[in-house]
Amino acid sequence: MDDPNHNGEVRSPAALDPAPCAGGGGRPESDRGAALGPPRPADSAADQAARSPTAEACADPPQRGPRSGDAEMPQSRRMGGPVEAAAPWIDGVGPIGAMVEGARSLARGMAVTLSHLARPSQVVTQEYPENRATLRLPPRFRGQLAFVHDPRGLHKCTVCRICEEMCPNVSIIITARDRPAVSKKELDTFVWRLDSCTWCNTCVMVCPHAVLEFRPTFETAVYDRRLLAYALNRTAGPTWPVIDKLESAEAQAAATEPRAPFDGPTLLARARAKPGDGEEGGDGG
Amino acid sequence: MTAPALPATTTLRARLSASGGARSDLATQEYFVNMGPQHPSTHGVLRLVLRMDGETVREVVPVPGYIHRGIEKMAEHGSWRQFVHLVDRMDYLSALANNWAVTRAIEGAAQIETNARIETIRTLVCELQRVQSHLLWWGVFGMDLGAFTPFFYGFRDRELFTDILERTIGGRLTMNYIQPGGVMYDLDADFQRDVHAAVAALRPRLHEFETLLSDNVIVQKRLRGVGVLPAERAVALGATGPVLRGSGVPLDLRHSAPYGRYGDVVFDVPVGTRGDCWDRYQVRIDEMRQSLLIIDQLVDDIPAGKTFLVKPAAKIKVPAGLYAAEVETARGILGVVVVSNGKDVPYRIHCRTPNFNNLWTVTATAPGSRIADLVAILSSLDLVIPDIDR
Amino acid sequence: MPSLPTLADRAATAAHADGLGPALGWTALAVVAVLAFMTVVGLLLIWVERKVAARFQCRLGPTRVGRFGLLQTVADALKLLLKEDIVPTGADRVLHLIAPLLSFLAMLLMLVALPLAPGLHVVDVDIGVVYLSACSGLGVIGILVGGWSSHNKWSLLGAMRAGAQVISYEVSAALALLVAVVFSGSLRLSEIVQSQADGWWIWRAPGCGVVGFLLLLVAGTAEINRTPFDLAEGESELTAGFHTEYSGLRFAFFFLSEFLNLFVLAALATTLYLGGWMPLHLPGLAGFNAAMDFVPPLAWFGVKAAAVVFVLMWFRWTFPRLRVDQLMRLEWQILLPIGFVNLFLAAGVVVGGFYPGAG
Repeated sequence: MDDPNHNGEVRSPAALDPAPCAGGGGRPESDRGAALGPPRPADSAADQAARSPTAEACADPPQRGPRSGDAEMPQSRRMGGPVEAAAPWIDGVGPIGAMVEGARSLARGMAVTLSHLARPSQVVTQEYPENRATLRLPPRFRGQLAFVHDPRGLHKCTVCRICEEMCPNVSIIITARDRPAVSKKELDTFVWRLDSCTWCNTCVMVCPHAVLEFRPTFETAVYDRRLLAYALNRTAGPTWPVIDKLESAEAQAAATEPRAPFDGPTLLARARAKPGDGEEGGDGG
Repeated sequence: MTAPALPATTTLRARLSASGGARSDLATQEYFVNMGPQHPSTHGVLRLVLRMDGETVREVVPVPGYIHRGIEKMAEHGSWRQFVHLVDRMDYLSALANNWAVTRAIEGAAQIETNARIETIRTLVCELQRVQSHLLWWGVFGMDLGAFTPFFYGFRDRELFTDILERTIGGRLTMNYIQPGGVMYDLDADFQRDVHAAVAALRPRLHEFETLLSDNVIVQKRLRGVGVLPAERAVALGATGPVLRGSGVPLDLRHSAPYGRYGDVVFDVPVGTRGDCWDRYQVRIDEMRQSLLIIDQLVDDIPAGKTFLVKPAAKIKVPAGLYAAEVETARGILGVVVVSNGKDVPYRIHCRTPNFNNLWTVTATAPGSRIADLVAILSSLDLVIPDIDR
Repeated sequence: MPSLPTLADRAATAAHADGLGPALGWTALAVVAVLAFMTVVGLLLIWVERKVAARFQCRLGPTRVGRFGLLQTVADALKLLLKEDIVPTGADRVLHLIAPLLSFLAMLLMLVALPLAPGLHVVDVDIGVVYLSACSGLGVIGILVGGWSSHNKWSLLGAMRAGAQVISYEVSAALALLVAVVFSGSLRLSEIVQSQADGWWIWRAPGCGVVGFLLLLVAGTAEINRTPFDLAEGESELTAGFHTEYSGLRFAFFFLSEFLNLFVLAALATTLYLGGWMPLHLPGLAGFNAAMDFVPPLAWFGVKAAAVVFVLMWFRWTFPRLRVDQLMRLEWQILLPIGFVNLFLAAGVVVGGFYPGAG
């Protein structure tokens, strides 16, 4: 602050912070506000080395500059010098010069916009829904939560309820079977509330059995909000590895039951059960 | 001086008669105008009460709170890991930096280790998002000045970066990617190729953007000397980020207290001299270039390793105490203070958001300027209103 | 190329020669023609603006309603007609109603005086240029009344700005118009067009023509409140400025008059500097000139006006807007001196006969 003109020069970390690699790569201890908490033990040199692969960089910052390929890149303007240096045409010219240069700057701007007009191939509009056939979103795009089903429609959910607990706002409601057929706990319905989900992806991340995935489908709009809470599993029953261990096909079929999306504690099911209700209060569950 | 009460008619008269000291011998009357909460230029639900004299602004009273959602209160009702996704929604244009701030605080408190790959990925995605955020700011800035075309150019080029983040993270706005213990997904297979292509595509476009907007005489006239924020006032008001650096104060956490891989890369931090809108504008343009340099240095240097070092479902155990961490988001310093009493649920989490302090600099820069200048000043602050209100 | 009698002249001769019936017939034809022209050109211009803006911005513009989105404006007009007509509490109802009509009237008065082609001219006012200048001044009353009657501080701000802006730039616009008048020696628009039979004033008037044309474009853009001079409606600042509180049909009138003012400015610039409906004639190239004569005069006019419209749209989608004091400074300290110097030079050139085809 008292030396405004030292901005703009190339700053290597070593130049600014005399000991960037001593005592941890982050905040110095004194700033930690550790009035209430125990101070974190200082990093040993081994920890520091483990954390930073280029530990030698701390002693001697690597002289890496712009990569090849941006030879056309203009010199970034150094701030901190006199403002005139930033746009030399605007200062240091007389009134006539300012008018002429001003007009020329306007003309240059017009050339930029004209160049975009003249390149119709660069139009970025995607004409939806005409392009649905070729529209592909990235596989990880968080569109719609879904179960991973095997070709028989079986799932791998063991009703550990970790996702239900980790969901920040109770957008997952799991019902276990009253009378499990084979395992101790079996899934009856797995209801996902699209109307309250924040798409944080925590459920997918924490599931120990990779039961859940977010599919990149985004066309989930409906006209009735009761359709926004639905069951994700197509069968109620044990997981498919357990099913596979059963001997006979009859035993396998008896162990499971099909489930439709609006079975279980969904908004629609509850609305259907009580014929007088038009809509739930909105916060059910 | 107490905060001025929202004026009703009687107090208006009282204020006018009490203000005294005529500015000229012309009998004029001041009036109050509400800018917002619905307004095209406040970029969010922000209400500014303006006391105006003709076209000149005499006083600005920001009235935030229209998008207060109780994020810090919500922290007290969930576990540590359940809080991280909420901060995406504070400064949603720097969602990854927000994640990182909270993650650093929790990891520091619970002493969760990371490795070089995780830190590199975190640095890379934060810098990608910094570029993306500044591109959006540039487009909106042009729109606020009246040039509607830069908006589309900025968004078009921002898509390059949004798509890269989408392919790796799955989110385009709310990311929830940087978690205590690592990052949620490993990088997409085409990440390096896409980043190289995006950086190579953006560099000439930045030059084009400067030709279109920065060199334009109208923009120069509207920004130079407008909204001067002296360095002492900036520091006193707690401004950070490009607002502070535009006023000549060379503070950037990436240099002064490097975290992630910032200590390993070489880059400039642009700093202004006069603290006017032009300096803040130019600081951000140059920051984009510097971010591209950082990305260049890191994208081919991603060490191998795991991307998540704890079990995601495991409870995070934070010993009792108070912990803090801060990061440099695209808008300034985001500080997170975490208070734990040893339980599974945070006792208190407080986020010191950069936009909150940056907003209040208008009380120092706006008086004396005109409405058009006020719009330029607000735009040069690059505010994201949900970050002010949390 | 000879010019044909205007519709007003035909009505007048019919009144003298053939009686009241045919006179009324010609008048009715003129009214219908003007209304139809106004509607079609207005809708077309709005469509062009949206498409051109889109192409500058790397997008498509309206594509769905009608082929190439041509019916989009029709759909929007229908929507505006069906909207609720809101008059704010405390607004002056009478003034609120007549403000858009005043803008519309000013535009209409200018439209009827423009020579589009030899016979397509409704009224040939003998003081044409002065008349047009006066009518554009009438338009500012609509803005002021609209802003005042809305009972809204933002609207009032916008209206005050617009008032100051329009009356300032009228001076520069008048100076630019006068250059063409000085060269053609007449205020009558049809005679100005005729005087460009051997070459358009933009190049035939050495130097003064180009400067005058550019001055007219800049001052005209300010007169019609387009970016970079659109602080009256400055969308990002004042929401919608003087027409914030207007919805439905009344807003449609403001909107339509804005776009037709664009056309009027383009037509004016075309008439005074680009030869109006005169084809391109180069001295000494008889064959070329004969070929040029094959293109109908209305097409000539259309192409020239379209070019000017395109340039004005190009301005709008490239430049940010000026602040009000910068705008005033531009007019009074930069454009006005340039305009005066240009006019004196033009007078000197005309008196000295230093331009091709003088005397």
